[in-house]
Amino acid sequence: MLAFQKIRTLLFYCSLLIFFVGLPFILAYALGYKFNSRSFKFVKTGLIFVKTQPPGAQIFLNGRLLAEKSPASIQELLPGAYQISLKLERHYPWKGQVEVEAGKATPIDKVILFARQPNLGLLSQAEFSTFRVDPERKMVYYLDGKKRIVYRSNLDAGNFEDIASLPDKFEQILGWEVSPDRAKLFIFNHRQIQVVYFDTQNDYDYPAVPVFIDYPQAKVLNVFWHSNSYHLVVVTDKNVQVAECRPQAVPVNLVDLNRPGKDAVYDPKTDTLYFSDFQKSPSGNWQNSLYKLELSANPDLLERLIAQPFAQGKSLLREERVE
Amino acid sequence: MNKPRGLKRMLEIIPGGLSWGIIAFLILLAFLRPVACAIIIIAFDFYWIIRTLYLTTLLVMAHQRLFGQKHENWLERCRGLPAGLGFKQLYQIVIFPVYNEGLEVLRPSLEALAATHYPPEQIILVMAFEERGAWSHQNAALLEHEFGGKFGAYLSTFHPDGLPQECRTKGANATWAAKAAKKYLDERSIAYEQALVSCFDADTCVDQEYFGCLSYHFLTSDKKHRASYQPMPVYNNNIWQAPFFARLVEISSTFCQMIESMRLEKFVTFSSHSMSFKTLVEIDYWPRDMISDDSVIYWKSYLHYNGDYRVVPLYVTVSLDVAYSSNIWRTISVQYRQKRRWAWGVENFPFVVEGFLRNKKIALGHKLRRSFHLLESHVTWAVWAVILVVIGPLPVILGGKFFSQTAIAYNLPKITGLLFKFTLLTSLTWIFLSWTILPPRPKEVSRWKYLALIGEWVFVPLIILVIGSTPALDAQTRLMLGRYMEFNATLKGNKML
Repeated sequence: MLAFQKIRTLLFYCSLLIFFVGLPFILAYALGYKFNSRSFKFVKTGLIFVKTQPPGAQIFLNGRLLAEKSPASIQELLPGAYQISLKLERHYPWKGQVEVEAGKATPIDKVILFARQPNLGLLSQAEFSTFRVDPERKMVYYLDGKKRIVYRSNLDAGNFEDIASLPDKFEQILGWEVSPDRAKLFIFNHRQIQVVYFDTQNDYDYPAVPVFIDYPQAKVLNVFWHSNSYHLVVVTDKNVQVAECRPQAVPVNLVDLNRPGKDAVYDPKTDTLYFSDFQKSPSGNWQNSLYKLELSANPDLLERLIAQPFAQGKSLLREERVE
Repeated sequence: MNKPRGLKRMLEIIPGGLSWGIIAFLILLAFLRPVACAIIIIAFDFYWIIRTLYLTTLLVMAHQRLFGQKHENWLERCRGLPAGLGFKQLYQIVIFPVYNEGLEVLRPSLEALAATHYPPEQIILVMAFEERGAWSHQNAALLEHEFGGKFGAYLSTFHPDGLPQECRTKGANATWAAKAAKKYLDERSIAYEQALVSCFDADTCVDQEYFGCLSYHFLTSDKKHRASYQPMPVYNNNIWQAPFFARLVEISSTFCQMIESMRLEKFVTFSSHSMSFKTLVEIDYWPRDMISDDSVIYWKSYLHYNGDYRVVPLYVTVSLDVAYSSNIWRTISVQYRQKRRWAWGVENFPFVVEGFLRNKKIALGHKLRRSFHLLESHVTWAVWAVILVVIGPLPVILGGKFFSQTAIAYNLPKITGLLFKFTLLTSLTWIFLSWTILPPRPKEVSRWKYLALIGEWVFVPLIILVIGSTPALDAQTRLMLGRYMEFNATLKGNKML
């Protein structure tokens, strides 16, 4: 036992020695210090952290190829400027100059090395005027203005199917959008909005009769789907309206406008409409202002409004000015 | 339990306060000074690597000793000793304190005892039942009927409940049994010096050479009455049947005990162990109001003999049950509670320091060193896994933009990762050693189990996370807040309950 105890004591003191001798070096390394064996001094260095997409790129530091490939941290660099180039076979290289500071890490972690031959795939050669991509359902919707049909395919250009026919009389389609429930779409021009139901689905909660909304007195500028897929949010040159998606529905006028701008944005996640309009200031000048109109802040109110007769010029929903 | 006051209460607060203080300090530092926190974590990581390497080396040395003496015929060596040392007159008093363990646990323990090579006429068995146990008298009668004639003497004792100055602890029951043994010796005029007492957990199955090894070390030791004799506990009774989680924890416990056996200056009695009966009587038996009776008995002796007391490691095994239950969650719970009870050994700290303050004969250096060792071991137990697993990543998470731009922010995960890789390397040694201490594979267990025994070591990080530090932190917090634990026997799975 005595021999074992002697070995143990020796081991203990060896461990103690390794700890106290090794710790300064490890801490120095962690903090970015480099031991200079010639001057017997620690010099504070910095590091460059390189991360590329895709990984595995060769790293050249001031023209010298390093053993590590990305992602990698290049340690013990004296403060100063460094030329970095990153090369990956069949990809465009990346070059840049980075400044290394003592004790700090300089990250180059947002590098994307683009392929020389981009991953370009042909999806469809079918005839169409415009298209919409639905990334969520992985579908593409095509609108053929000449043949007046709407069809769709999956994202790999397979499973083509005609899903709707557009009315012949509808002229000059300015815009169209598939509803969030993917059961119908609207098309619109300056004087009319039409909702067309897809032929492939017959399990609607409401009669799938085509819906026409005419605007003889106003000019339709923008149309959006409300997130419930039943209401349309319409921006005209005179007002902002909400219309139900049913025959003979009477739109409700939410806000009167003076001289609205062309741009309007609708956030379907919050059911908020952002639009601009000119207002006359007290000094008599016309001033452009940005507004947001929340359409889901009070759903009950929205339902009530739709049920009421057309209320000309009354802005009952909450309106908030955005500076 | 009577509520302590003043100094003792303050001493009870110190371990928990220190552990929580270290954790809180490091968390605060990760918020306010992430670089400083990262430096401390790296230093701790490095310390842990060195410590793991050092302890693994000690484990290998202890293992070498254990296996070197595996085939030793200790009884033969005892017979070869000079007659004057008194081997032929040496009695073995074996006490099995029984709480609520059933016959399925007790019977194998007595069978193992009966199978030892030690002369049975020199074994005095005391089955120490609790009077309050529902099956105590019935089990006592059955066991006495089965084993009564197999030993020199067979005593059944029934410890009354609620005696003054006692708590419901194993120590109180063992003391009651030891007093019955004393009466037995007195009646036969057997000197206490001629008797060794072994206090065994109810599930303890001794090696056939245990008493030979114990007697040899006792008879040949310098100041033999000033020592306790500690065998190596292995959890082999049901290790093949136990779930991986419990098996890994108990193998680790065995290894910890083997490592401790190499650090004599810190070595303290644990679980089943033996000592001179004369010493036991002189120090007035086990404490009757403390849960950690197995370690307190050492400290009580140490204080009584003014520091002239030690623990002699016996490189012979006693086999115990792995604590487990019917499903993994209950097993985790059982293991957690068992480890918390072990960690309740922190109650030794106020006991020892108070004793040191009263004792003027122990050198101050000894007092300081032993107090420090005791405190350090419990505080390290309570914080090491928290520092490695929880606080380790905190500077990177909480350090903010400034810290993320520093070199140390990039190097901290690298160094921490290196630690875990290194720990995996040492695990290979542990895996190999764990194989060597396994009992023979039962016929009903598939050979594939060997592969499972290797694979299950990947769960070590999970085990560290669940019961690395938390039972110790829990026990220390309870002591700190004065919420004292009561003795609860661990659910043992020898015959699945």
